[in-house]
Amino acid sequence: MVVKKPNLETQIGRIKFKNPVLAASGTFGYAREFEKLTDLRRLGGIVTKTLTLKPRLGNAPTRIVETPSGMLNAIGLQNVGAERFIGEKLPYLRKLGVPIVASVMGYSVEEFVSVVEVLDSAKGIDGFELNLSCPNVSYGSRSKDGGVRMFAHEERLVAQVVRAVRKTTGKTVIAKLGPDVSDIGKMARAAEDAGADAVSLINTLVAMVIDVKKRRPVLANKTGGLSGPCIRPIAVRMVWEAAQRVSIPVIGIGGIMNAHDALEFLIAGASAIQVGTAGFVNPNACVEILEGIKRFMLDEKIRSAAELVGILNA
Amino acid sequence: MYRERCLVKDNKKVAPGHYRLTLVSSRIAKAARPGQFVQILCSDSCDPLLPRPFSFLTATARDFSVLYHVVGKGTHLLSQAKAGDSLWVLGPLGNGFTDRGSWIVDRGSKILLVGGGVGIPPLYHLAQALTRGKSKGFARNISVFLGARSKAFLLCEKDFKKLGVRTYAATDDGSKGRRGLVTEAVGEFLERIAHSAERRAEMEGIALYGCGPTPMLKALSVISKKHEVPCEISVEVPMACGFGVCLGCAVKVADARQGVRYAMACTEGPVFGADQIVGE
Repeated sequence: MVVKKPNLETQIGRIKFKNPVLAASGTFGYAREFEKLTDLRRLGGIVTKTLTLKPRLGNAPTRIVETPSGMLNAIGLQNVGAERFIGEKLPYLRKLGVPIVASVMGYSVEEFVSVVEVLDSAKGIDGFELNLSCPNVSYGSRSKDGGVRMFAHEERLVAQVVRAVRKTTGKTVIAKLGPDVSDIGKMARAAEDAGADAVSLINTLVAMVIDVKKRRPVLANKTGGLSGPCIRPIAVRMVWEAAQRVSIPVIGIGGIMNAHDALEFLIAGASAIQVGTAGFVNPNACVEILEGIKRFMLDEKIRSAAELVGILNA
Repeated sequence: MYRERCLVKDNKKVAPGHYRLTLVSSRIAKAARPGQFVQILCSDSCDPLLPRPFSFLTATARDFSVLYHVVGKGTHLLSQAKAGDSLWVLGPLGNGFTDRGSWIVDRGSKILLVGGGVGIPPLYHLAQALTRGKSKGFARNISVFLGARSKAFLLCEKDFKKLGVRTYAATDDGSKGRRGLVTEAVGEFLERIAHSAERRAEMEGIALYGCGPTPMLKALSVISKKHEVPCEISVEVPMACGFGVCLGCAVKVADARQGVRYAMACTEGPVFGADQIVGE
């Protein structure tokens, strides 16, 4: 048997992605920044920088610091806000002919609903990724209230947000989960039970770097989100755990730099993957990863990407 | 903006811990403007992970160079690169300095370049661009103030002299030029003009350009404000991508149109008007 053209299509909720390689939120801007550096039309899909109801200035600098095989960031969700996104950024994204997933975040269940409402009516958005796990913004009274740092830390809160958004939109809803929990499977189940079409994981890990001479954290936000290849083995393990606990698709994220890394996630149980930090190092990373996955499938005589998903021998 | 695997033409030590790296790329070199920069991947492995930003020192039709200081693992690896090796480069990036060369001809202006340490290279690129094809007399309207720890670390001084521009040096230990801060020299230079009845009109045409450590740039901003002269500074901030997606290299700026906000040094900068920047 000779496989000439492997089938890379992957279905997540109502979205049919032509391949499983998506650009991750917060690392791809609004895609236009990449237009001279890669062929955006070849991407499986694009997840936007997280949008909030109102524009956000973001955190004070210093916002980033490099770590061994990774980086720490505390951008603080700097974004143009949902309305300006529709007016200024979406028209360009829509023209690419690639599914667009809007990453959204609110400070309350109601705000999640509001931002989805604003975006839901806009033509060109195929789905929503709920950023339940940004490590770099404070939730104000909420954190004092129950000591909750982010929605993704509690099953009850994950379920509340997903359920409320599910009622608001008929479009695909993906819950983005964070790694700083004791049982990722529980969180994934909570999202599934509340009506999510998929879960994506992992977001960055909350981490800290200290300037020993100043006895101060390097980041003005004190802590930040750790990303890059250093977190990959943790992400692979969590995707594997989550995939065993839910029947909805899992989207794997975490330090994917090349096709080999992406394949680990697919084999662990991810139906699709997202590429983030790698794009800072190589803006053409997504396309090269896609090419590498294709080559692997041809070499291994695998006809469709779906055949790879979750075939881990363990 | 191009991403290319560039051939290393030369990588030569120019001062203790400082190297000049010349890379071959006609596309990047031809597009390079003074004050712009490139991102260079110092390693093909994941550690260090991110590219390092460097301002242009020179750019010809075929190649370009950067001058860097070995401060960590990335720049150490870079210092090991040899002619014939190749490195991933992204550039040119950002916005460069405003070319006010015509001011010298039209208004009899004086241009003051103020650089400290590895902030000096982009100013050399600027001086080169300003003086290209111009007379010796023209070059004398450009004054360069160079600051360093000591004589051995005073970068590009001879190169500036070859361009025919006036040079002033300041070192921390007094081993070359005046002892003290380079900005003190600039301050005194402007005070002399301000206090001279016959020279005061000269102030109208003065433009300042600066690149160096943050305290130096802050002092330069204060000087430019005092004498009401335009001043452009090139800032150095931690950066990941270099093309506006990571939003890491935030600089707090304020303007009448958009109010206070964070601008990205990689796309809106690294050159800003000194009056744009707001302290944290």
